[in-house]
Amino acid sequence: MSIEPAFPYPVGSGGRLVWAVTLCIAIVAPVAGQEPAPATEVLRFGTDPTGGAPYIFKIDPAGPYVGFEVELASYLAHKLGRRAVPVEGEWSTLPELLDKPRHGEKGIDIVLNGYEQRDDLLQHYAATVPYYVYRLQLVAHAEDDSIQQWSDLRAGKRIGVLEGSVAFDYCQRRYPGQVLPNKDVAIMFEEVKRRGRVDATVQDNPACAWFVFQEPVYRGHLKIVGEGRQPGFYVIYLRKDDLQLKRQLDDAIRDGFRDGTLQRLYSKYGLWNADQQWLAWSLTGQFPPEDDAPIETLSSSGGGSVIPLIPKLLQAAGMTVFLSVASFPLAMLLGLLIALGRVYGPSWLAAPLTLYVEVIRGTPLMLQLYFLFFMMPKIHPVLALDPLYTGILGLALNYAAYEAENYRAGLLAIPRGQMEAALALGMTPLTALRTVIVPQAMRIVIPPVTNDFIALFKDTSVCSVILITELTRRYNELYNFNRDLVVELAILTAALYLLMSYPLALVARTLERRWGTPHVPR
Amino acid sequence: MAIIRIHHLVKQSGGHRILDDVSLTIAQGQVAGIVGPSGSGKSTLLRCIVGLEPFDHGEVWVHGRWQIRGGVTAPRDTLLQLRRTVGMVFQQFHLFPHMTVLRNVMAGPLHVQGKSRAEAETIASHWLERVGLKDKLSAYPAQLSGGQQQRVAIARALAVQPQALLFDEPTSALDPRMAAEVMRVIDDLADDPALQVAMVIVSHDLSALRRIADVVHVLDRGRLVYSGPADEALAPNGPTAHFTSSEQPR
Ligand SMILES: Nc1ncnc2c1ncn2[C@@H]1O[C@H](COP(=O)(O)OP(=O)(O)OP(=O)(O)O)[C@@H](O)[C@H]1O
Ligand SMILES: [Mg+2]
Repeated sequence: MSIEPAFPYPVGSGGRLVWAVTLCIAIVAPVAGQEPAPATEVLRFGTDPTGGAPYIFKIDPAGPYVGFEVELASYLAHKLGRRAVPVEGEWSTLPELLDKPRHGEKGIDIVLNGYEQRDDLLQHYAATVPYYVYRLQLVAHAEDDSIQQWSDLRAGKRIGVLEGSVAFDYCQRRYPGQVLPNKDVAIMFEEVKRRGRVDATVQDNPACAWFVFQEPVYRGHLKIVGEGRQPGFYVIYLRKDDLQLKRQLDDAIRDGFRDGTLQRLYSKYGLWNADQQWLAWSLTGQFPPEDDAPIETLSSSGGGSVIPLIPKLLQAAGMTVFLSVASFPLAMLLGLLIALGRVYGPSWLAAPLTLYVEVIRGTPLMLQLYFLFFMMPKIHPVLALDPLYTGILGLALNYAAYEAENYRAGLLAIPRGQMEAALALGMTPLTALRTVIVPQAMRIVIPPVTNDFIALFKDTSVCSVILITELTRRYNELYNFNRDLVVELAILTAALYLLMSYPLALVARTLERRWGTPHVPR
Repeated sequence: MAIIRIHHLVKQSGGHRILDDVSLTIAQGQVAGIVGPSGSGKSTLLRCIVGLEPFDHGEVWVHGRWQIRGGVTAPRDTLLQLRRTVGMVFQQFHLFPHMTVLRNVMAGPLHVQGKSRAEAETIASHWLERVGLKDKLSAYPAQLSGGQQQRVAIARALAVQPQALLFDEPTSALDPRMAAEVMRVIDDLADDPALQVAMVIVSHDLSALRRIADVVHVLDRGRLVYSGPADEALAPNGPTAHFTSSEQPR
């Protein structure tokens, strides 16, 4: 078992590859009529590391990403004279990252992450030639004799599938009522191994091959049942107008099949099979050269310690704190303005403000963040904000609605006479609000507002959907690569949240004591 | 010269006239009492004068310069100027509970007249001394008795140097001892020849009015039924006889 870092692309027999690249540049450059891209130029590929092995994962938690797609990206980038850089996203929304500016935050050049060739995506994006032929495979427990072939599933077997995947669709139609969708690939193999909530799982063959034959924790406990079904293509998606990039990638994939590079790469992860032979033949008109060199294999180690992960969790906790302290003051300010508008503003303003509050409070924060992040740029490119700004803005806009209700209650609790006394003194309404009404309302709302701050603090975890690596998202990543530390990681993460929110609760209680019941002599 | 002139003021509510063609004049430095049975419109009249309550017809003139007209929203600046000229003291004090006594009285100079903090503090201490509360500067309103709170309210109103001060039943929320203490302060201010602040006092305390007021106006069901010298108005068989006998123990 040899473990190699993913970057730079590992060269089996270096001389040949260098030669191939040199030749490639020599050929491409004059034809393209321009200089080859400088070596520092990057190829940013959208990927979701939480998808896990064998696509993209880590063996050493502190080390770089590995996985057959990571190595494929390195190989392709190398062929293009570029350097591959992963850009992390949420799997189901990766193609939408192509709608964002290429060089902005979370900007990408390509999506390379087990995406099948799909008509709906081809309407909006261009795709390369296939780089892999996958099949749906059925995996059951090694000792489960009741599942020997696909048709055995009909006996009411419970089938775990990845939500929204082709396998999900396939099983839903064939075995209605028996499908248990899940968002986590590994958890389904885990359930099959434990003979727990599902009897079998249907997934793309790369994941099956990895968990059944390579992953030490599962090896020997699982079996592949029957033949793979419903073959399909993994392709790389890119922008429709990226014609040159598409041609370069297509050529690189063909070259990779032709000279055996991809065969070696896929074999390393146990993914080379007859389907890939056929793909190579149909893309290049020839079969890859036979190669008798020993095949490297790769597998995750398992059995680590949680200690090296702590700095990573702490770093993400910093982001959680930053999101909270950056967004909450905004939410308070905005909420106060909304409340003042509703209680003291002109009558035409009341209706839109009420609508805002009700819409925000009546829809999930996650949806609002999705809207800000993915929809706004479609309305106008100028509205394409960085994830961090989007997160702060989204939290602020959301919590403003709740703070507005707090402040409104506070403002309404101030007796009418206070405003009248201030006006009778000759204050302008604005001065009266600023010096008399709002300071009193503030004191009334301190307890609920502080509680909301604690709630927002925990709600920052929702920002993980727009790719901000805060504590919860970091936990998810780490846990994907450290299955043996699941419990320790969960406890550690929860402890961090508690460690940060408990002092806040204490501050809240102190403020409440000091200001909650003001000016009444005790 | 008139500091406040009310001209045929009418305020209606649901077809019923709360104030019905009221006209009266308050001269500079004059102390006027307003009496009348409960619900006769006394408070409403005071609130109309300072623009806290809109009315339907007629006019309110202050200092011959600032005018509120019936049925029309007064311009903002008019209201601000007018309220700086005519102060108001409420039955329920309405002190700002989140400010100390000193800050309450500083509020006007500071936030209305734009004076410096030091200046405002000097003015505020002066008026608090005047109402006998020099030793309560850093107390909060909730730590004071009702009579003390009302005296702070009077100091707060005076600190912006108004030309007239309206009192809406300043003592009726207080027990007799504290009421007397507040009336003594008002009395003292009324007697100060240097002060020259006109006062309009709505009160059921007829003996106090008899002592302080130059004139008394009698309201009954929204109509002004009598204006004249206090002695005459408050005589046992005068215009107030029919409603004071049962309500006024003293
Ligand atoms: N905002 C309002 N809308 C409608 N009617 C009102 C309003 N305010 C007062 N009124 C009515 O107007 C009349 C006069 O009320 P006002 O408070 O001026 O009387 P008052 O002479 O001050 O009485 P009191 O001696 O009890 O304080 C009453 O009949 C009262 O019910
Ligand atoms: Mg009244």
